[in-house]
Amino acid sequence: MRVLAWLGAILCGAALGAASAWAALEFGRHESLERAGQWTWSNAGADPYARAIAASDALLAPPARDVRVFSLDRDENGQPLQEACIYELAGGSLKGRWWSATLYARDGFLAANSDHAFALDSTRVAVDGRGHWAIRIAPVRGEARQWLSSRAARRGFSLTLRLYTPNDEFRAEADALPTLRTLSCPDAPA
Amino acid sequence: MSGLGKYILTALLVAVATHLAIVHAIPRLSMQAAIERVSDNGAHYNAWTQSERVTPELRADVRPSPEFAESACAYDLAAGAVIVAAPPWEQYWSLSFYDAKGEAFFVLDDREARYGAEITLVRAGRRHPEGASQVVESPSRRGVVLLRRLAPTAAHFAEAQALGMEDVCASVAALRSP
Repeated sequence: MRVLAWLGAILCGAALGAASAWAALEFGRHESLERAGQWTWSNAGADPYARAIAASDALLAPPARDVRVFSLDRDENGQPLQEACIYELAGGSLKGRWWSATLYARDGFLAANSDHAFALDSTRVAVDGRGHWAIRIAPVRGEARQWLSSRAARRGFSLTLRLYTPNDEFRAEADALPTLRTLSCPDAPA
Repeated sequence: MSGLGKYILTALLVAVATHLAIVHAIPRLSMQAAIERVSDNGAHYNAWTQSERVTPELRADVRPSPEFAESACAYDLAAGAVIVAAPPWEQYWSLSFYDAKGEAFFVLDDREARYGAEITLVRAGRRHPEGASQVVESPSRRGVVLLRRLAPTAAHFAEAQALGMEDVCASVAALRSP
């Protein structure tokens, strides 16, 4: 009887420890997210929890001195991005050497389509005379000069912006990053 | 201590120990799995493996960077120093060294290595080989080196793959043996 009591205490403790570790990492993952306009980015520190989160989410990621990574999964109204909607991502010159925008389906992989339009980068984006650019995000290209295909991305897809070798003056603030706006959406309120 | 109290205290001590053990183990276990994957379950240490071009069909890693041609080398310093070398690439490229806990302990990009890189990797605290041009100390015996070359188009990717044949990741002992 006494052996069973000790065994029960140890098992309960192990379960409690595992559950609290999982909860701490989930809470830490959420807490480490910073917001700049529509974009979020991870600002995890160097404590053991931050290291565990980084190992789970971004193992072997390029170090922050080489690349800053921003994610966007909501439109300007806070709604999840949907394949059925048409969006425009627009911005100006980013204070870095090179940048890319990539569309991922909800599962984090590239959307399963054959459009070869899952990413664009600063070497392939046309800018106007003021240095501004715009990318259509839609399931079909239409008349868009440059686009990212959301075909087969379904509901809940996301965009990732990577800024390589950011300048010293780069600040992760809303006006330094591109803006997403909805051009049309069948589910949008009238 | 009352009968129930000692069981509660034991459960709490085990909970704290389990919590800390899990949090500290995750980086090492994740990296161990990555080293095994890159080395093909230990069969190929100190050798580059080139990744396929990222496409919607490739589902190896979440949120892959489709603009890069990547090569990975799982290093093992058991037999001594390892040479890591790469010729220059016309666009952005970088070498990142990760230890057994997934910490990037050394990074080099094309701004610092305009004419390519030749690095001698040694275990921290060990004697540096004579004549080595750039010596980097690894905190752990094993780890991973990642080489990323910016290659946003299929043509660039093919060029990067061809150039990658000149990359070196090899133990000094193996290079000296006949």
